[in-house]
Amino acid sequence: MSAENIRLQSVNISFRDEQVLQDIDLAVDDGEFCVIVGPSGCGKSTLLQSIAGLSEPDSGTVYLNGDPASSLSVQERNLGYVFQEFEDTLFPHMTVEENVAFGVRQQDEQVDEEQLSEEIDEMLDLLAIGDTRDDLPSGLSGGQQQRVELARQLIRGCDTILLDDPLADLDYKLQKRMELEIRRIHEELESTFLYVTHNQDQALKLADTVVVMNRGRIEQIGTPSEVYHNPNTAFVANFIGDNNITEAELVESDGDAYVAESDIGRFPVTPAHDTNIGETGILGIRPVNVAIGEDAAEKETTITATLDGSTYMGDRTEIDVRIDGYEPSFYIIVPGKVDPGQYGDEITLGWDVTDAQFLTDLSVSDTYTISNILEL
Amino acid sequence: MNDVTPTDNPTGDDARPPAGSDDTILSVRDLTKVYPDGTVAVDEVSFDIQQGDFCVLIGPSGCGKSTTLHSLVGRFPVTSGQVLLDGDDITHKETHTRDIGLVFQDFQLFPHLTVTENIEYGLKQTGIPQAEKDERIEEIVDVMRLDTMRDRHPEELSAGQKQRVALARSLVLEPKLLLLDEPLGDMDYKLQKRMERELLRIHREMDTTFVYVTHDQTQAMRLGDQLVVMNDGKIEQSSSTDAVYNEPATAFVSTFVGDSNVFTGEITTVSDDGRTAELDTRFGTFWAATANLDSDPESLLGESIPFSVRPHQFELGTHEENVLSCDVDDVLHQPGNGTQILLTATDSDGDTGEFQLQSAEILSVDDRVDITWSPDHATLLERTSVLEDIDLEEDVLGE
Repeated sequence: MSAENIRLQSVNISFRDEQVLQDIDLAVDDGEFCVIVGPSGCGKSTLLQSIAGLSEPDSGTVYLNGDPASSLSVQERNLGYVFQEFEDTLFPHMTVEENVAFGVRQQDEQVDEEQLSEEIDEMLDLLAIGDTRDDLPSGLSGGQQQRVELARQLIRGCDTILLDDPLADLDYKLQKRMELEIRRIHEELESTFLYVTHNQDQALKLADTVVVMNRGRIEQIGTPSEVYHNPNTAFVANFIGDNNITEAELVESDGDAYVAESDIGRFPVTPAHDTNIGETGILGIRPVNVAIGEDAAEKETTITATLDGSTYMGDRTEIDVRIDGYEPSFYIIVPGKVDPGQYGDEITLGWDVTDAQFLTDLSVSDTYTISNILEL
Repeated sequence: MNDVTPTDNPTGDDARPPAGSDDTILSVRDLTKVYPDGTVAVDEVSFDIQQGDFCVLIGPSGCGKSTTLHSLVGRFPVTSGQVLLDGDDITHKETHTRDIGLVFQDFQLFPHLTVTENIEYGLKQTGIPQAEKDERIEEIVDVMRLDTMRDRHPEELSAGQKQRVALARSLVLEPKLLLLDEPLGDMDYKLQKRMERELLRIHREMDTTFVYVTHDQTQAMRLGDQLVVMNDGKIEQSSSTDAVYNEPATAFVSTFVGDSNVFTGEITTVSDDGRTAELDTRFGTFWAATANLDSDPESLLGESIPFSVRPHQFELGTHEENVLSCDVDDVLHQPGNGTQILLTATDSDGDTGEFQLQSAEILSVDDRVDITWSPDHATLLERTSVLEDIDLEEDVLGE
């Protein structure tokens, strides 16, 4: 068992009358890559601030390396912190190299300058900004400044590094590349990374552990595979990964076989939790689990739909179909290049019973209704 | 539908179809924009867009895609060149007389007007009879699914709803062309993905030509019938999405649109009636199809030419002609999206190269694996870029 790096116990924070964090319990192990994901305003950035000491809990405790952090100042916590708004964090009169070296020199006045210089070279190269070493921040693009800030925080060798959506403002291509570099840097540094993003795909890709937040609370903590395949709530099922969702009611149950009725038909489903006949909830069918045409015939449930459109994406084909009772359109992803036919063609869809997930728990936040989830 | 759009204009600048062919709605000819400080933002760019298509201008920051878009709407005088809309030269026309709509990232709705009033606003200045105005508003409210929020003010709407009102306000004027400047840029990722599919649906239902700017290549692939790939003020390729992905005109295009594994080697033999080239690379001998070459393959004997293989076209095993042994560096499980596997191969000098593979199989870090691919999936890239003085390793692969 690795030791705990960060623990939040029953943490509550409100700003004015608004409860921003509610009963947050979270433990992050040493060396873990933990990603917090949720919609705008879910409290994920405040959670980072509470760990950094920038935001004091009204109640509850933040522990760092097993000790309560409340008596520690921001500096004493010795955390790396990469903000999303990075414009004002670099010193304008210092070169990139001086900016990156600054924190290290502050921490250690006897630093081996030669070694530091090598480490800076390495870090700048890793972040693809090696040629900016002697430039002033004003001469850099936004994306380059953000990477200097990353270098500055990562090179300090802190045990814990907090990253608040650090790639959000980068070009798509650079973002994809930096995702891989951040994984690599995490492996090399062996530090604990707590990373915040609103991008579900990034969360699934980067994380050892995903924390799904919503309205100040934690909906689910799990591996990427767990939150995707076994969502706790309808919120998570809809928020994480692509999903086709519709309202449904459980109408039959016979041992292990369950049938639900929805606007798109009556067919067997797999409830996520114990569910009684008459209960309503959300039925979710992932686009990647839906087969079309001849492949559909081999599936346990088949229905007929009308082809709306399709998009070839290189490694896969994304297909939109219309099903009576489903708004706006049902989404299907099949591998490779597939020609599903012409607009308006009839098309057969199929999926297995285990792929038709039925969730009656909507959210840990009790203010949710089924239509809230559908509008998400 | 993203049906393949026939095009005989594979590389934009070089091979130009005659202007004004039947279905061409927009024709841009040698467009150049030099800013007062001397920056050449757009450099003799030419491309055509077919009526009803969804065209996406894509490229890295500063490539000139937004300047090109704003030249179409007449936001500033262009330095030289011509813009023809439905055959009319609109290069020097005033913005409001161009019959072109523009939607931005920040919506620019009137805060004191309701949804209906915002949509109606542009119609007021036209001579369209009231009955037709009402009919158009009804239609667009229906397409945009704004029926239940007609009387709301912008502040009562979500970002997605505001963007639908902004789209409605432009589309109700039935412009010949709707320009969209990164309209989903500021949205949450989830909403962005939902709006992408909304835009596809709206485009299908409206039959209007869309011209869309983004730096997000997945968005471009999803939305575009036609892609115009730009780089430093020039067009690298203008063709169907399918052709951009499968028949990239340059190495820049191959790596910018979709992920690519790039090898470089000297062509040593051409066989199979000129259809297959044998290449001597630092990782060994490989075979690549010559279909993507413009030149006669024989004429390239002895030359160093890169080829690319898409991550999903690598397979595990040794069953295809090309085989390479690699070490697994990292495994990124992406539920619902396959698994991305990062690999390192070592050449005879002990130097390494990085590759990636998309696979459903479970591998672990430090596993040693053989990857294999068919010559048909190795795309030879004769040109690095339309730009001169571009270095493959440094500027394109970013080593």
